[in-house]
Amino acid sequence: MRVTVRVVGGEAKDVEIVGAGRKVKDVIRDLGLLTEEYIVMRGSRVLTDEDEVYDGDELVLVPVVSGG
Amino acid sequence: MVNCVVCGRRAVYIERSSGYAYCERHFLKLFSRRVKRTIRKYGLFREREDIVVAVSGGKDSLALLHFLLKLSKKVRGWRVRALLIDEGISGYREVTKKDFIKFAEEWGVEYRIASFKEEVGLSLDEMVEEGRRRGLPYLPCTYCGVFRRYLLNKVAREMGATVLATAHNLDDVIQTYVMNVIVNNLDKLSRLGPKTGVVKHPKFVPKVKPFYEVLEKEVALYAVLNNIYPSFTECPYARLGVRWTIREMINKLEEKHSGIKHLTLRSLLRIISLIGGSQEGEGGPATCRLCGEPSAHEVCRACQLKMGLGLIRP
Ligand code: SF4
Ligand SMILES: [Zn+2]
Ligand SMILES: [Zn+2]
Repeated sequence: MRVTVRVVGGEAKDVEIVGAGRKVKDVIRDLGLLTEEYIVMRGSRVLTDEDEVYDGDELVLVPVVSGG
Repeated sequence: MVNCVVCGRRAVYIERSSGYAYCERHFLKLFSRRVKRTIRKYGLFREREDIVVAVSGGKDSLALLHFLLKLSKKVRGWRVRALLIDEGISGYREVTKKDFIKFAEEWGVEYRIASFKEEVGLSLDEMVEEGRRRGLPYLPCTYCGVFRRYLLNKVAREMGATVLATAHNLDDVIQTYVMNVIVNNLDKLSRLGPKTGVVKHPKFVPKVKPFYEVLEKEVALYAVLNNIYPSFTECPYARLGVRWTIREMINKLEEKHSGIKHLTLRSLLRIISLIGGSQEGEGGPATCRLCGEPSAHEVCRACQLKMGLGLIRP
């Protein structure tokens, strides 16, 4: 399945996720990122790391760490 | 979907250390309870308090201002105002300053903005440039931190603050702890307590950290859920500092071993109590002979840096 991920302050990426029943934390890890460092939203909803993602999902990653 | 342990509704947050999930309402309740517990436990505020919140316009300080404004509606003796230090970092501080002013106007908060340029003589960008010209070591975060702390104390005092609240969260505190241990700055650990500078110097405004026991991710979520998460910007100097790497290291550790962060905070609190300095002021009991501000040495760090930059003569 394909999921589009946009990091706030960065660009959007299409990610190919292999397998069913994949979770938010898997998407973040597949991108080489840390779950500690992002809040993940689908639309106006905040997701937890354990929520499942579905084909065609558009996820927005809000950075937790602020440089400065 | 993951369900809230309290009410069963859709969860927005899973607390790593306990494994519990919380919905929006119960996360916000938990957050508020935690911060109030910190305030009580360490006696951060008294019944009558003229609180000045140090703000940058970033999510942490907006969240703290938001939290204290709401809480102050229930505490009669509190007045809450804000102070923003404008270091003069182009492409960065203008953005967060705008976010802050927008917030302050919406909430009707009284505030003051003090800039490096006006108060010290050069903006941070100009200091970096001048330092380079003079062949000084490249340390933007040192200039930034020293002058920011200096001005926060000085201007908060001028504003009549009885206490200065900063938005340092658990992550910030343990990062600084680890950094100070690595570079053998053990004498600086005492300023990492939840409350500092109470009795040391008449010119020293006590500093408190109400977000001491909440994680950076929790503060960010508080900001998102309250719709006050500002525009995302990053200081151009941020990635160069040691802190950036330390943060990454600690976050990687936490990802593998839940609870590491809270454990590190406990380790810090233990060390502070061992060295007996939780009330220690960062300035120390002396007075700088050049500017008259509290200082640990005969000449304060701010004046030392100013001399290096040719802004004042010894
Ligand atoms: S990253 Fe360094 S220069 Fe930038 S705001 Fe933070 S301390 Fe200042
Ligand atoms: Zn709930
Ligand atoms: Zn001085």
